[in-house]
Amino acid sequence: MVEILKIEGLNKSFGDLTVLDGIDLSVNKGETIVVIGASGSGKSTMLRCVNFMEIPSGGRITLNGSAIGTASNGSVTYSEKELTGLRARVGMVFQHFNLFPHMTVKQNVMEGPKTVLKCSAVECSRRADKYLEKVGLGWKADSFPSQLSGGQQQRVAIARALAMEPEIMLFDEATSALDPELVGEVLLTMKELADEGMTMLIVTHELGFAYTVADRVLFLANGKILEQGDPESVLINPQQDATKNFLRGHGSFRLPEPNLD
Amino acid sequence: MGYEWDFGVVLRDFDLLLWGLVNTLKVTGLSLLFGVPLGLFLALWRLYGGRLIRVPVGVLIEFLRTTPPIAQLFWFFFAMPILLGIEIDPFQASVLTFSLQSSAFFAEVFRGGIVSIDNGQWEAAKAIGMDRNASLRRIILPQAVKRMVPAFLERAIELMKTTTLVGTISYADLLYEANNIAQSTYRSLEVFSLAAGMYFVVIFACSMGVRRLERHLGRTGETTTG
Ligand SMILES: Nc1ncnc2c1ncn2[C@@H]1O[C@H](COP(=O)(O)OP(=O)(O)OP(=O)(O)O)[C@@H](O)[C@H]1O
Ligand SMILES: [Mg+2]
Repeated sequence: MVEILKIEGLNKSFGDLTVLDGIDLSVNKGETIVVIGASGSGKSTMLRCVNFMEIPSGGRITLNGSAIGTASNGSVTYSEKELTGLRARVGMVFQHFNLFPHMTVKQNVMEGPKTVLKCSAVECSRRADKYLEKVGLGWKADSFPSQLSGGQQQRVAIARALAMEPEIMLFDEATSALDPELVGEVLLTMKELADEGMTMLIVTHELGFAYTVADRVLFLANGKILEQGDPESVLINPQQDATKNFLRGHGSFRLPEPNLD
Repeated sequence: MGYEWDFGVVLRDFDLLLWGLVNTLKVTGLSLLFGVPLGLFLALWRLYGGRLIRVPVGVLIEFLRTTPPIAQLFWFFFAMPILLGIEIDPFQASVLTFSLQSSAFFAEVFRGGIVSIDNGQWEAAKAIGMDRNASLRRIILPQAVKRMVPAFLERAIELMKTTTLVGTISYADLLYEANNIAQSTYRSLEVFSLAAGMYFVVIFACSMGVRRLERHLGRTGETTTG
């Protein structure tokens, strides 16, 4: 098995506040890992450290076998050039889509290949068509983001990240800003990616999605991985009290399975 | 009111007024040409420079914005040549003064435009591997400039009106010529009305043009962030 991402002893503090406290994680190629945890437990920060939107305070991150940064007497330093190069290899999808409003859908998707990877015009266009098709939005290529629904915007954001042909994809609450009826289409797109073998690290509150799609679920509390395992063991048979409390909060209002026949 | 309007004598010197207008447009145009890019650099230095750049640039901008333009003009025309031992003519002094003076205002317009862009745009650009320059060039500035158009227009109009000060160092702009004609023909009412009308026509035409441009920009792409 190929290890795509390795996180060792990851720490992150903002001033006096320790947000991540010794995270260790190894992600294999094609694995889908879902991170759950209470608000403020450090889920976003952990994701943002993986693509260095936040610079870790300590620890080491290794992507596809190459350790990021230069270690010298106990601390790791990062050059801006290395980090921009790394971010091009890691895709990220945000809660608030953040599409570029002055560009068409297709231009949004081509922007990374064009400006960062310096792909030829033909290749940029090919990638844009391919990944817009993949998220089912080829027909919206010439629209502007403002003309799209939230769910469509988020799928364009996914295509934009995919167009970089990243080694791993990060999703930070990709459906939290969506109206409930639009959540499904985005989750479906994410599930298809998982099924095709994309390596994914997903923060979400959609426990049903986590249960169905995750190979492994991590429960984060106070900046530590408190519990992890397959969906069955973490979401159905949790061992830790904190996990149980968290799940109790999420499962308070549950429907029986709808009868749709 | 028994005043008898007589544009005849004034119109005989209309070509002088036109030359004055050309000179006004020359100073305004060149000051924009230099002032806008310089304003962009000042804004970027003020926002992203190291402290050794940021602080002096901030002081310079505030200084240019708060001192009277006429004092700046006199300084560049009368004082600077002594200091540097160089010759400078009224035209050069005017362009220099108003390029610098307006660059400070444009810097603030640029800065306002840049910081008004949602941080999520920076993050999205960063996340696909863009560095700061690429993010600015491709993502932030195109959106910021679009929002800045009205403020730009305002500053450009303000600039053209401020250039009327160049007459004080004997540069023959529209107002200077009007003043000369008024003194030789004793027809101040006509000549200044005419001059005011000419300023109005030029500025009004410019703002209509910009408004059309704005509508055009508004059509291609949107300003709302999702
Ligand atoms: N840039 C920052 N500066 C200071 N504190 C920060 C910063 N980013 C995050 N924090 C703090 O770090 C802690 C963890 O934040 P984080 O966003 O990682 O939590 P989260 O698990 O993603 O929560 P949520 O479910 O609400 O998104 C919070 O207490 C937050 O206030
Ligand atoms: Mg979060």
